[in-house]
Amino acid sequence: MIYFQILANGLMLGALYACIAVGFSLVWGVLNVINILHGTFIVLGSYIAFFAFRFAGIHPFVSVFIAGFVLFLMGYAIQSAMINRVIAAPVLITLTLTFGIDLVLNNAMLVAFSADYRKINLPSPLPSFEVASIFLPGDRVAAMGLALLLTILLYFLLRATNVGRAIIAVRMDREAAALMGVDVKRVNAITFGIGALMAGATGALISVIYPISPLNSSAFLGKAFVVCVLGGLGSVPGALVGGLMLGVLESFGGFWFGPEHAVTLSFGLLLILLFARPGGLLGKRGYE
Amino acid sequence: MTVAKLSITNLQAGYGDVQVLWDISLEVNPGEIVCLIGSNGAGKSTLLRCISGLVAATSGHVVVDGKDMTNASEAGVVSAGIAHVPEGRRLFSAMSVHDNLLMGAYLRKDKAQIAEDLDLVYSMFPVLAERRRQDAGTMSGGEQQMCAIGRGLMARPSLLLIDELSLGLAPRAVELLFERLRQINKGGVAILLVEQDVMDALALADRAYVVNRGRVSMSGESKVLAADPAIQEAFMGLA
Repeated sequence: MIYFQILANGLMLGALYACIAVGFSLVWGVLNVINILHGTFIVLGSYIAFFAFRFAGIHPFVSVFIAGFVLFLMGYAIQSAMINRVIAAPVLITLTLTFGIDLVLNNAMLVAFSADYRKINLPSPLPSFEVASIFLPGDRVAAMGLALLLTILLYFLLRATNVGRAIIAVRMDREAAALMGVDVKRVNAITFGIGALMAGATGALISVIYPISPLNSSAFLGKAFVVCVLGGLGSVPGALVGGLMLGVLESFGGFWFGPEHAVTLSFGLLLILLFARPGGLLGKRGYE
Repeated sequence: MTVAKLSITNLQAGYGDVQVLWDISLEVNPGEIVCLIGSNGAGKSTLLRCISGLVAATSGHVVVDGKDMTNASEAGVVSAGIAHVPEGRRLFSAMSVHDNLLMGAYLRKDKAQIAEDLDLVYSMFPVLAERRRQDAGTMSGGEQQMCAIGRGLMARPSLLLIDELSLGLAPRAVELLFERLRQINKGGVAILLVEQDVMDALALADRAYVVNRGRVSMSGESKVLAADPAIQEAFMGLA
């Protein structure tokens, strides 16, 4: 059945979309910052994986952790040094700030790495296999598995640890969180760091499958937006459901209408949902 | 002489250009219940917020256990043994009751004692134990206030600041809450209470301060204040 193959492709893509969006969604939900930098963070993660592979022979799946760590530090620093200064300002101010930092970082990457597309060619890719006549490329399945694992880890971090509880508390009521002794500015920086970590880690995962270029960053950002609107803001399950849905939708859309219309389809859906269900499919009312 | 738990001298504070507190001086001794009374907008909440670090003092001093804590961070104030139960309760509404209580113990590292204190709060407010997995925002106002007080207690404070204990709550819930405050106080926790039900507040407290337009206009033992005709006229509708 060709449809099962398309569904499988969509789920493999969707897990990556979920991973792309979950950090973006967290930052938006907790800090009320629309982080335009998110796409560039993802590309940066891909480059870290690319250079780690080229110069040190490190497998991109191992670089997931390196890229995540480096991007966490970077995100933490950007929030502490810059965004925290205007965090209480209206959302347009913080958006403009991240937009500005994005211009700088993205152009720096263009200068440093050029706009050429590069690709990691693994000497020994994981073997592909077939289940019930569905063709499954090994590396894509592994990337999907790691993407899901990262998303689930983030979920448990938020649910079951002190830091996670503090992040949620700041999201719900920053003043009350401060009264509990939470250092809100530090939690802001950690949250932004985690958002960047997820972006960097996803970038490393994606580097196994897609070519890398600084020009990709806006496409990633677009996906993150659509997934957030689909799934609802700020919740990990929302991003997961939204990501998987978008992946499946693009996969079927590409099959029925041709791959050139996949993006039109996802943004068309975004518009319809903004009219019909602006809170997202899993968005909780009053959760803000 | 014992050192006051909290001693405030000539405190001034406000929001931007608007000064709210003028030359406030007050004291809370260890184990004491003190209440603040005064009309809406008198500055009672601002005073509590200034103590806990949410509002910056422009001059004057806040001294806790003999140590100057003027404009200390919120975390510093919690660590000094002062927990603030804010007006409107301000629970983390989509978080479970249990997690709300744990947030109260955020700065503590003593796991075993945190578990003990949780049991204590649950035994003090059994309804919270029943609803420990429920989102805090789905409970009644009275239950939320219990949760807010429980959350304050989880910091293991020696002074509890409570802002508008009974506002908008059912009389039976209020009665229970007052009873619990007595019990908490017997356990050695001092309480600084802002309460619009002046009669009940004066009955509970050892001493009281009357705040009027950001200044302390009267103070003294609550029994004496309760018998004062001016107070009776202003706050109790008695002539």
